Amino acid sequence: MTSELHNFRKIANIVINIAILFFFLSCTATPPRTSEQKYINPEKVISLIKEKKAVVVDTMSYLECMDHRIPGSLCIALEEFENKSPALLKDKKQTTIFYCESEECPRAGLTYEKAKTAGYEDIYILEGGLSAWKRTGYEVETVERIKRAPVVSIKPRVLKALAMEKKGLFVLDIRSEDAFKAGHIDGAINIPLYTLHKKLKEIPKNRPVIVVDESGKRSFLACCYLINNGFKDVVRLYGGMKHEEPRKGKKG
Amino acid sequence: MTDKSWTIALLLSVFLLMLSGHAYPSNVKINCTDCHDNNKFKTHYKGSVHGNIGCTGCHTSFESLDRHVILKEKPLLVSCGKCHSEVEKAYKNNFHYLYEDFRCYDCHYEIHSLKPEKDNFKIAVTKNCTKCHANNEYVLSGHGAAVMKGNKDSATCSDCHGLHDTKAYHTSSEKYALEAREFYNRTCKSCHSDREMMKRNNLSPDTVKYYEETYHGKVQDLGYPTSVAGCADCHTTHNILAKDHPDSSINPKNLTKNCEKCHHGIHPRFAEYKAHPDYKDRKRYPLLYLSFITMVALLLTTFGFYWTHTLLWWRKVYWEKHRLEELGIKPESPFTHEEGIQEIRRFSIKDRVMHLLLILSFFGLVITGFPIKYHSTPWAKVLIQVMGGAHNAGLYHRAAAIVLIGLFFIALWRCLHFIFPKGFGREGRKGWMERLFGPDSLMPNIHDWQQFKGMVKWFFNKGEYPKFDRWTYWEKFDFLAIFWGMVIIGGSGITLWAPETASYIYPGWVFNIASIFHSEEALLAAIFIFTVHFFNTHLIPTKFPMDPIIFTGSYKLEELWRFRTLEYERLVREKKLDDLKIKHPGISLKLISSMFGHASLWIGLLFTLILLWTFFFA
Repeated sequence: MTSELHNFRKIANIVINIAILFFFLSCTATPPRTSEQKYINPEKVISLIKEKKAVVVDTMSYLECMDHRIPGSLCIALEEFENKSPALLKDKKQTTIFYCESEECPRAGLTYEKAKTAGYEDIYILEGGLSAWKRTGYEVETVERIKRAPVVSIKPRVLKALAMEKKGLFVLDIRSEDAFKAGHIDGAINIPLYTLHKKLKEIPKNRPVIVVDESGKRSFLACCYLINNGFKDVVRLYGGMKHEEPRKGKKG
Repeated sequence: MTDKSWTIALLLSVFLLMLSGHAYPSNVKINCTDCHDNNKFKTHYKGSVHGNIGCTGCHTSFESLDRHVILKEKPLLVSCGKCHSEVEKAYKNNFHYLYEDFRCYDCHYEIHSLKPEKDNFKIAVTKNCTKCHANNEYVLSGHGAAVMKGNKDSATCSDCHGLHDTKAYHTSSEKYALEAREFYNRTCKSCHSDREMMKRNNLSPDTVKYYEETYHGKVQDLGYPTSVAGCADCHTTHNILAKDHPDSSINPKNLTKNCEKCHHGIHPRFAEYKAHPDYKDRKRYPLLYLSFITMVALLLTTFGFYWTHTLLWWRKVYWEKHRLEELGIKPESPFTHEEGIQEIRRFSIKDRVMHLLLILSFFGLVITGFPIKYHSTPWAKVLIQVMGGAHNAGLYHRAAAIVLIGLFFIALWRCLHFIFPKGFGREGRKGWMERLFGPDSLMPNIHDWQQFKGMVKWFFNKGEYPKFDRWTYWEKFDFLAIFWGMVIIGGSGITLWAPETASYIYPGWVFNIASIFHSEEALLAAIFIFTVHFFNTHLIPTKFPMDPIIFTGSYKLEELWRFRTLEYERLVREKKLDDLKIKHPGISLKLISSMFGHASLWIGLLFTLILLWTFFFA
């Protein structure tokens, strides 16, 4: 009978172990952030600004930065960091906070990496970007506002039909040079947004323009800028280049 | 402008200021329209909604009018929130503000000539939003067309996306998948469950209710919106069209493709599934109605019979016990004390382990399944939260189901082995009928009927307690009910587990029937186990509060003689009794058995109470 009891215990053990395993499976924790980048929240940023202990850097383009930014920000676009930082960010020990438009925008993180390589020591990324700043209730400042205008967005699947319909369609790709090199719509011209105000003359005013960006979030302001500068027929590509490739269906 | 030019401009302006002094004497009254003489300000403004507050009502932040006149001071941006504070509060979280930095006047274009909307408000919203969001799909949709025709119930942009509190969901549904789906499902439901509104518009007022009775609806309600179909998954978002429109996603021609978005590799028949049927509607869904009625009848008959049986039994035993206690009579026994306490083996280690796994898997299925069935109750939400969402509950449910299905096949194999112990050859088959209907078999036979009649007579004090052999008729029922239950619950469960594959065997409407069967049969099984089985084997006054025999495997000789007299006599006759005599079970086994048994028993009873509360109060 002892062997029977032994068996019973063995089985009970297995059963208990399975139960424990089930328990732990149910408490799946969120994975920790993999990057070693330092983040800072809006509340801390505002107290640092008040104490004049930190410099805040808008990593979006010049146009976007002038349109709306955290009061007192420097405008150093991601692409211009190497050129502008020696003059604007002289002190490498100065607390410097990079931010971009929203929590999904990678520009602040990329600038952070550039700054780290360049030897800046006390650098942070504003957690959640400018949208988190606004959500917390803090104001933004405007230096040169781009008047908003109604801009129609064109879905990628009707892009071909649009090209047929509008003769001489000028496809303006406002992404960075690198992104453009990695792949773009046939015949598109690359004028990165951070250079748009300097290269406006390169865009023909008599042709219809479609503005293409990374994910459909920046083309709107670029279009408004064009319209304010006398362009008549300006549309944008819905979802930017993100939706250009067919997305994979998800299994439910 | 570079830094240098800024400095120059600043110096220049200071210089000009020093030169100019006061441009106007202070007693000269200046009208804004003297300079701002555009028609917009001069004529239209007075008749606009803000006409009575004057220019400085909004353009407040002047330090010096003189400096403004010489173009040296620009007023700050207008703060509309000073008056429209509620709107401003909502707008602080608006997508357009957070991500595009839109200000009031970016949508309210002609603020200086703004007049109260003469048009229908919904038409005005649609017109304004579509200036940028030229959403042809919406404009052509059922909602859009109705709005433009002047229907005040139909959804305009702001009804789903909010007006001043537009969320970030619709542009970033990948990031906010959960929030977006929950938000929009709630939004659809809020109008489509408004009975008056639906009746006004010739739409079914109960669609939402019926949807919530389906698996999609139940799981969706529990907060698992990523993997079950919410409203928009089948009806799309902007281009919602009536069923008979050829472009409608729910047009029979497009339906299979629609289902295929989530259910890959389906047979076209899959689309015959009814997404929100009223299974009590006999005319439209006769088969669903029939299934529902059948299950209700099955539940009522089974419980009607067994609860009466249980009640009568309890009455008899309790009264009998009372009588014996009152008269001080001790039950008779033919054994000496030492003989009577001899342990006799009843269940083998295999039986006991199987029963143990059965309990675990059964409880696993009940705890993970019932919260879905009664999704709207608070206990369901708590249980699902503890399990980490309906998705996890589903995984555990399937894991437990695999154990139970495994047990089912082991039991089947053991049955075959019992009837054909020496294989299926001519020799092995010999005597299988005797074994099948013999005293050791769980197959019902004529004796069960006689014993049942004897039992009923005994309930009513018309006879003695019947003599039983190894298995009583209620034990046989318990055993066979699992077989019948497994066919119904297991069959329907597997169908619902892999509906895509199942669609190659039968059409989609079978899934509706399978849902009804699975759910109702589960209710039957759970309540049956937690009331009838618990009473018959544990809670009856002679065994109260628990009979540990299924865990320890043995009981006293006296119990064998008293409750299974025929078996005792047979074992004595066949001289097999000595083989079954074993030592008293050890303390550790008894302790574990008691703990596990009591835990199961009380969990089951607690669950019964929760279900009763659900039926009557939830």
